[in-house]
Amino acid sequence: MKSFKIITGGLATILILIIVTPLFRMILAADPATLKATVTDTRVTQSIMLTLRCALWATIASALFGIPLAYALARWRFPGKTLVQGIVDLPVMIPHTAAGIALLMVYGRRFLVGKAFAHVGISFVGTETGISLAMAFVSIPFLVNAARNGFLSIDPRIEQVARTLGASPWQTFFRVTLPLTWRPILSGGIMMWARGISEFGAVIVLAYHPMTAPVLIWERFESYGLKYARPVAIILILLCLIIFAVLRGIASERED
Amino acid sequence: MLLLQNIHLKLGAFCLKDLSLHVNRGEYMVILGPTGTGKTVLLETVAGIHTVRDGKIFIHGQDVTRLPPEKRQIGIVFQDYALFPHMTVRKNITFGLGLKGKSKKKTEKAVRKIADFLDINDILDRRPGNLSGGEKQRVALARALALEPYILLLDEPLSALDHQTQDRLKYELKRIHQETGITIVHVTHDLTEAFFLADHMAVMKDGHILQQDTPSNIVKEPKSRTVARLVGIKNLIPSTMADNGRLHTRLGHIDLSDTYLKNISNSKKTYIMIPDWSIELFPDTDREAYAWKGKMKVTALNHMNETAEVVCSHASGEQITLRLSGREIRTLGSSLEIGAYMEIGIIKEGIHCIPAK
Repeated sequence: MKSFKIITGGLATILILIIVTPLFRMILAADPATLKATVTDTRVTQSIMLTLRCALWATIASALFGIPLAYALARWRFPGKTLVQGIVDLPVMIPHTAAGIALLMVYGRRFLVGKAFAHVGISFVGTETGISLAMAFVSIPFLVNAARNGFLSIDPRIEQVARTLGASPWQTFFRVTLPLTWRPILSGGIMMWARGISEFGAVIVLAYHPMTAPVLIWERFESYGLKYARPVAIILILLCLIIFAVLRGIASERED
Repeated sequence: MLLLQNIHLKLGAFCLKDLSLHVNRGEYMVILGPTGTGKTVLLETVAGIHTVRDGKIFIHGQDVTRLPPEKRQIGIVFQDYALFPHMTVRKNITFGLGLKGKSKKKTEKAVRKIADFLDINDILDRRPGNLSGGEKQRVALARALALEPYILLLDEPLSALDHQTQDRLKYELKRIHQETGITIVHVTHDLTEAFFLADHMAVMKDGHILQQDTPSNIVKEPKSRTVARLVGIKNLIPSTMADNGRLHTRLGHIDLSDTYLKNISNSKKTYIMIPDWSIELFPDTDREAYAWKGKMKVTALNHMNETAEVVCSHASGEQITLRLSGREIRTLGSSLEIGAYMEIGIIKEGIHCIPAK
């Protein structure tokens, strides 16, 4: 028993150290004066706000389509269900620069969907919409899979009883299913948002400008070197850490 | 009244095949069958959770076959109760009333009434997670009954409970039925539960209703060997009708009345069903009521609370199981032991012959 605890605890600690050491190293190496200057740099703050905003829109828009898809995957039997599940997971597997190119070939100005949207004044290249689209494309599996697992964790009989008590399918979903699954859905949403914020490959293909934080970090690294890229990265990491800790707390808070 | 006509349904491993069932208004119908036979699927089909491939379902004369669950006015209590875990007991009960647009005053009145009726006033503000099995059961019943449904469907409602709670709730279900007069369809694999509660019984196996009648009629005259086995009859002895019109078994000749034999003369091969009460120890030598008398050896003895099940073997290898009361066990004393020989008589009256198919 004792050896089990020591080995398990030891391995877990090693993993946590692998994750936090580079981050701490980067934070500790920062020069406070440069850090202060970076915080007040409007280009940096705007870029971070743009990143958070685009990832949030990507998450909200994806939830609108992703939650019904997750419900269908959890509850319905239909031919090709495994294939659909595979398609949902696909963005995790493909290189994100390839995803960006694929998106460009559909939503680009010269391509079918891009042209159609251009008629109503929506462009995906070099815009916030394009950034959100790229973020959504690569991070949607986090939301759909979390929501699907949430729905699967609910006994379908609870929904069936609601129906026999007079609830329509909509009423059942909003009064019974959703109140029981909002935590895993929120958790998936947080993961999706987080993944969206960190996205670089797909975003840079679709929209180099306006510059999201990962693109700005890369650009500063390429143009001015590590010293200038590091403060932006530190600010982004600290900000995300605070936001995710708070959101995680809400998502995992016990009901009773 | 509930009427199911030639229902066909396939759902994964389960299917209902040409299933018909008739439940009268105010009746307590128990559907008895082994696990995995499709009993729950049948209830869910009545509730509208599954759509039938063929057949019709009528409730109070209205064809509800294509109606969704919310339009059927049916209450259902599942084996695991399926209470809404995010709501208090009160909210669970008022869920359906709220959807029907009942006023706050009417809803509160209905809650009080049903809470008094099922004695759950003390737990109205608790969440299902903090309730015992018996309390959950009552809440599930209260939630279903609050809407005054046409029919109450009970899916193995006692199986998840301990023995004491099961016993208490059996009486409770009987009281609910008697006091509300509601039509109840209850599925179970438990014989004691079924016989205790049923006005009418349907025996089900592999998606079929094999026989539907009063419990006493089913036990008296099961239509098939499967039904006999499912209602707990242990003594089924294979027999052959000889050319002289007499029944032969491995025990020897079975003496039944000519009138009875005439009725079953179409079946060459039959199973002779012997109910517990037709078997007597130490039969009276002068009486003519016996279809068979003979000596058998006790080969197994299973004590069960106040009774005992005694398995006796004939020299031919044929076995008969008899149940002895506590009084009989005490009277027999030490003579009742494995290996002892006993005189056994089978009374004609209880015997029923089932054609072998």
